[in-house]
Amino acid sequence: MNAYGLLWGLLLALLSTAAQAQNDTPPQSGIWIPNPGADLWKAVRQRGQPEPSTTQVQGLDSNQLINVAGEKFRDWRRERFIRYAAYLLAGVPVVILLFHMLHGAMKLEPSGRKLLRFDLYDRVAHWLLATVFLFLAFTGLLLLFGRFVIVPWLGLDAFSPIASASKEGHNLFGPLFLVALLWVFLRFVARNLPAWRDIVWLLKGGGAFGGKHPSAGFFNGGEKLWFWSLAVFGLLLSLSGLLLDFPSYAPSRELLVLALVVHGAAAVILVAFSFGHIYMGTAGVEGTLEGMRDGTVDANWARQHHDQWYAEMVREGRLEALSEAQENRAETTTGQLEEGRT
Amino acid sequence: MARLKFYCDAERCIECNGCITACKNENDVPWGVNRRRVVTIKDGEQGERSLSVACMHCSDAPCAAVCPVDCFYTTEDGLVLHDKDICIGCGYCFYACPFGAPQFPQDGAFASRGKMDKCTFCAGGPEENGSSAEYKKYGRNRLAEGKLPLCAEMCATKALLAGDANVLADIYRERVIYRASSSLRRGVDLQKQNLGGNPGAGS
Ligand code: HEM
Ligand code: SF4
Ligand code: SF4
Repeated sequence: MNAYGLLWGLLLALLSTAAQAQNDTPPQSGIWIPNPGADLWKAVRQRGQPEPSTTQVQGLDSNQLINVAGEKFRDWRRERFIRYAAYLLAGVPVVILLFHMLHGAMKLEPSGRKLLRFDLYDRVAHWLLATVFLFLAFTGLLLLFGRFVIVPWLGLDAFSPIASASKEGHNLFGPLFLVALLWVFLRFVARNLPAWRDIVWLLKGGGAFGGKHPSAGFFNGGEKLWFWSLAVFGLLLSLSGLLLDFPSYAPSRELLVLALVVHGAAAVILVAFSFGHIYMGTAGVEGTLEGMRDGTVDANWARQHHDQWYAEMVREGRLEALSEAQENRAETTTGQLEEGRT
Repeated sequence: MARLKFYCDAERCIECNGCITACKNENDVPWGVNRRRVVTIKDGEQGERSLSVACMHCSDAPCAAVCPVDCFYTTEDGLVLHDKDICIGCGYCFYACPFGAPQFPQDGAFASRGKMDKCTFCAGGPEENGSSAEYKKYGRNRLAEGKLPLCAEMCATKALLAGDANVLADIYRERVIYRASSSLRRGVDLQKQNLGGNPGAGS
C-alpha cells in the first residue's frame, strides 16, 4: 500500500513537471493558433520571467515598460501610510494629554543641592539634534499632510511655495541630521548600554502606575529605549533620506520607493516617540528640563528618578563638590565642564 | 465627451524612434527629458517586439494620487496634465507612474532637480492656449489648433495612434480580426505540415 502510494506520488510529480515544461509548446490535437503577442504582454507586465528589454533613451529604468513598484507605492502612500500616520500622530498627544490629566506631573521638592548631569558638549549635541530634528519633522510632515490639511484651507497656489520651501529646506538640512545623530550617539552611548534593571524599569512602566519607583542608573529603561530607537530609526532615516536627496544616483526606482517607505515610516515612528520624550522632559517630570538646559539637576530629582546614579555620585563625593560649584557658578559653563565628567 | 488615448501596435512598431524625434522637436522638450521612448523586448531574438510609450493619461492616475501638492488635473478630454507652477519637483509622480512618464529635467548642478516634465498629448498646460508662456513650459498646444499629437501623426507604420478611444478601439479591432484570420490560416497550414514545435512564434 505504502509503496504504491509512493509510486503514485512520483508519477504525479513527474507528470506535472512534464505538463509545466510543455506549457509553451503546441497541444497535440486541435488547431494551434500562434499568438506572437503573448510573450510580449507577459514581459510587459513583468509577470514571471522578465524578458530583456532595451531602449535608446537614457534614464533611470527607461528600458522598463511597466513599473511594478509604482502601484505598490501609490497603495502604500494613499491607502495606508498617510492615514495611519495621521492616526498615530494625532493619537499619541491625546493619550499623553489624558495621562497628564489623570496622573499629573511627577513632582519635585527641590533640595537646593545640585548635581552635574550634562556637560556643555552633551547639551550642545542634544540641542543641535533636537533643532534639526524638529525642523526636518516640521518640513517633512508638511510634505506628507499639506495636501490634505493646508490645501483645503489655503488653496493650491498658496501651498505650492510653502511645500517648495519645505522641500528645499528639508533636502538641504537633512544631512546635518546624520552629523548631529552621530555626535549624540557617540556622546551618550556609553551611558545607554542596556542593563537588567532597565527591563525591570520598563516592565513596571517607570513607576508611572503606582508602586515604588523602579531603580535606574544614569538613564532609565525608558530613556534607553528612546536612545536606541533614535539610533536605529535615525540611521534608517538618514540613509534613506540621503538616497532621496540624490535620486539621479539611485540605481532603480524600486529602491527609491523603498527608501520613501522606510523614510516615512521611520520619521513618523520617531516623531510619535519624540512627543513622549518631549512630554517627559518638560511637563511630565518636574526638574528634568533644567538638566538639559543648565546641565545640573536637583539632588532630589536624581534620587527620585536615577537612584543608582545618585548613589554613585554621593559615593564619589560629587554632590558636595558640585553644590559648591553651583553656588559660585560662573556664567561660563566650561568651569563645570572641567570639573564634571571626565 | 471624447476620451483621448494613445495606442501603440506592437505588431507594427519598427523601433525607428521617429515619434521621439517628432516630440522633442515639436515641444522643445527640456534637456535630459524624453516624453516618449521606444522600448524593445528581446532585441535581436525571436519574438522581438517594440512599443512606443509615453504618458497614457490614466483614468485613475497614480501620479496625481501621490503628488504632495496635487498639481495634476484631468481635462474634459481625459488628458492628465501637469501644472509646473505648482510642482515642487519631488519626483513622487515618477516613482508611482506605471510608465515612467514624468521625469526630472537634469539641468541643475549637483544632481539638483527642477520641476517635472511629461507628455501633454500636445495639449499644453494651464496657461492660455497657444501663448508663449504655455509653449515655454509645456510645448506646442496642437490640440487647440485642432491637430493630434505629432508623434502619432509622424508614425510611418501607423503603429502609434492617438485620438478618441472609441475610434482607436475600432481601428485596432479591425486589425486584430485580420491578424486572427491570417494566423488561423497559418495554424492550419502548420498542422497540415505536422511541424510541431513552436514554429509560429516570432514571425
Ligand atoms: C538625514 C536626514 C534626512 C534626509 C537626508 C532627509 C531627506 C528627505 C527627502 C529627500 C525627502 C523627500 C522629499 C522630497 O524630495 O521632496 C524626505 C521626505 C520626508 N522626510 Fe526626510 N530627511 C531626513 C531626515 C528626516 C527627519 C529627521 C524627519 C522627521 C523626523 C523626516 C521626515 C520626513 C517626512 C515626513 C517626509 C515626507 C515623506 C513622504 O512624503 O512620504 N526626515 N526627507
Ligand atoms: S504620468 Fe503616468 S500615472 Fe500619470 S497619467 Fe500619465 S501614465 Fe498615468
Ligand atoms: S514632482 Fe511635481 S508633479 Fe510630481 S509628485 Fe512631485 S510635486 Fe507632484
